[in-house]
Amino acid sequence: MPTDVERWKSEVYGDDIRTHLFEFAESGFDTIPDDERDAWFERFKWWGLYHQRNGQEGYFMMRIGTPNGVLKPGQLQVIGEIADEYARGPGVNPIFGASYADFTTRQSIQLHWIELSDVPAVFEKLEANGLSTQQACGDSWRNIVGNPVAGKDAQEVIDAWPVIEELNKTFKGNDDHANLPRKWKVSVTGSVDGSGQGDINDLAFEPAYKTRDGAEVVGFNIRVGGGLSRNEPRLARDIDVWVEPDNVSTVAGGLSALFRDYGDRDDRYNARMKFLVDEWGTEKLRSTLQSEYIDFELETAGRDVRRSYSYNTGEGPRNDLVGVFPQKDGKYFVGLNVLVGRMGAADIKQLAELADTHASGEVRLSQRQNIILTDVPESELDALLNAELLTHYSPTPSPFMRGSVACTGTEFCSLSIVETKNRQVRFARWLKANVTIPDGLEEFHIHLSGCTASCAQPQIADVSLRGMKTRKNGEPVEALDIGLGGGLGSDPQFARWVGQRVPVDEVPGAIANLIDTYAIERVEDESFRTFIQRHTDEELAAKIEPAETTYEDPMMHNTKRTWYPYAENDALDAGPEAPADD
Amino acid sequence: MPDRFLRINAYTSLNMADAELQCAEGTAETYGIVNITAARDTPKSVNLQLEIDNTELETVAPHADIFSLSPEEARTLAMDLNKYADRVEAVSE
Repeated sequence: MPTDVERWKSEVYGDDIRTHLFEFAESGFDTIPDDERDAWFERFKWWGLYHQRNGQEGYFMMRIGTPNGVLKPGQLQVIGEIADEYARGPGVNPIFGASYADFTTRQSIQLHWIELSDVPAVFEKLEANGLSTQQACGDSWRNIVGNPVAGKDAQEVIDAWPVIEELNKTFKGNDDHANLPRKWKVSVTGSVDGSGQGDINDLAFEPAYKTRDGAEVVGFNIRVGGGLSRNEPRLARDIDVWVEPDNVSTVAGGLSALFRDYGDRDDRYNARMKFLVDEWGTEKLRSTLQSEYIDFELETAGRDVRRSYSYNTGEGPRNDLVGVFPQKDGKYFVGLNVLVGRMGAADIKQLAELADTHASGEVRLSQRQNIILTDVPESELDALLNAELLTHYSPTPSPFMRGSVACTGTEFCSLSIVETKNRQVRFARWLKANVTIPDGLEEFHIHLSGCTASCAQPQIADVSLRGMKTRKNGEPVEALDIGLGGGLGSDPQFARWVGQRVPVDEVPGAIANLIDTYAIERVEDESFRTFIQRHTDEELAAKIEPAETTYEDPMMHNTKRTWYPYAENDALDAGPEAPADD
Repeated sequence: MPDRFLRINAYTSLNMADAELQCAEGTAETYGIVNITAARDTPKSVNLQLEIDNTELETVAPHADIFSLSPEEARTLAMDLNKYADRVEAVSE
């Protein structure tokens, strides 16, 4: 018996949704029949639209998929203009204002308060400028991620950008791969720093060498079945396959088709590729791929470069891509910290102008919710770095600012149970002002997710925070579970959860105490992650000492029960009517 | 300690219920998660899911308990919940 979602998908899915979407945009949000809303909202995801949470009837989040986070010259300006004109609604954020865009952990862009009636105009402007929301959400090929500076990076061993462009061209709007059992997340990386974070993707291509005629050639090893969601995180597993760049699209298509044909369509909670890999094992997966989907002999895995991975590992250089780095062509890329990935529309437009003035105008988005200006000539570096805007979006930020990642939270999301983005801003600012940074600690990753869906990738941070509830002074308050020691690299590990239901106003104190303990007890210059690794769960639980401090949290109450947490009258029944279809 | 077993999001029935864990080693007062759900599609039973927070009772490994209830059993439970809710409310009013 097919699930409801499978039934809806079998009726209308893929490109065809667009026609209906535009019809509803014309006839008005209210013309979506009540008993068809679940079905249409599910389908709209394929075109990048999520209906916002309870209390925000008729408003949508729009996700724009930018492959590998690449925004070509002029595109950031377009994003700023669209955010300014269309991403406005009845709620105003006290930190970020009335109009802003979010850069996501999958190198995409999210806008909020989008009205259905505006969707055709937004699509027209996006598409006229080479941007798209197609398959940004839904059960298909999502935005392809990778090292954001592919093609530019002085450290890359193979340029993955042409491969990503080919995959994007082949599998966006491809009817054979438009309706998969569940989302399909792909990473392609050509650098030695691991910044594509392949380990947490359904399908990962990672650089690897094979010997041909006595010489080494570069291609990709393949890992399959990673992912963080559903309290069941998995690292992608090595299926012992190496492909040359020209064959990536064929093998990726084979694996996508295998998932399409064998993935679980009866139970969406069991549908992700990671569960099929659990069930089959890698040998069966490889043999099925070979026998049913690929008509040339697959090669065994080559020599990888995982030992040199540094991205999001908790130590070493290029733990993120914030800062000034050389490109292979003698120019530089400048990674800027965007705290929790959110940037006001005016700032976006100003940054686009800076990119035009001082560089090529191209920018890139990283999986740590940051933005990178590429192609900066040495002669322009000082002028760019002295720009006033870069005091807010710094290439040399505090460890607490650069390390902060947060999901959308109760501001807009239907799943979250706590406020996230603004809270993470408050946390970072307080930690920056109040915590003495131990010598040598340049980066400290704190990821905050509002629920177990893991959109902020909490399991791969130094400090993992996840939404919960507790009671304080007799009153229910928002709280966080705390995990420690997660990170990627050659030895990737998920966080160990060692603290439960810490009231949100005591979390900064807990982190401060933990860092003080680390500073005192660390052996020589060991990293925070190494320090965590050598302690047992019980020892770590004892090191989490929640404490009230000067930090004050104005959102202690149950923000899930508001229509908009920052509204003067935030009661759920005080929310706005659905917007008129003007 | 391992991660929680149950998913926790805005659709969870109760993400903070007062709970007491009893075992041979002793008792501990804590919080727990109570969730009522059914498969999104073609459900075969009502699931009652319980997970008590980790405690310092070493003999009780972290775990979740899942009860599969028939519709009749679920309604029996609902009737009892209503009946005793009324009794508690009557005393407190």
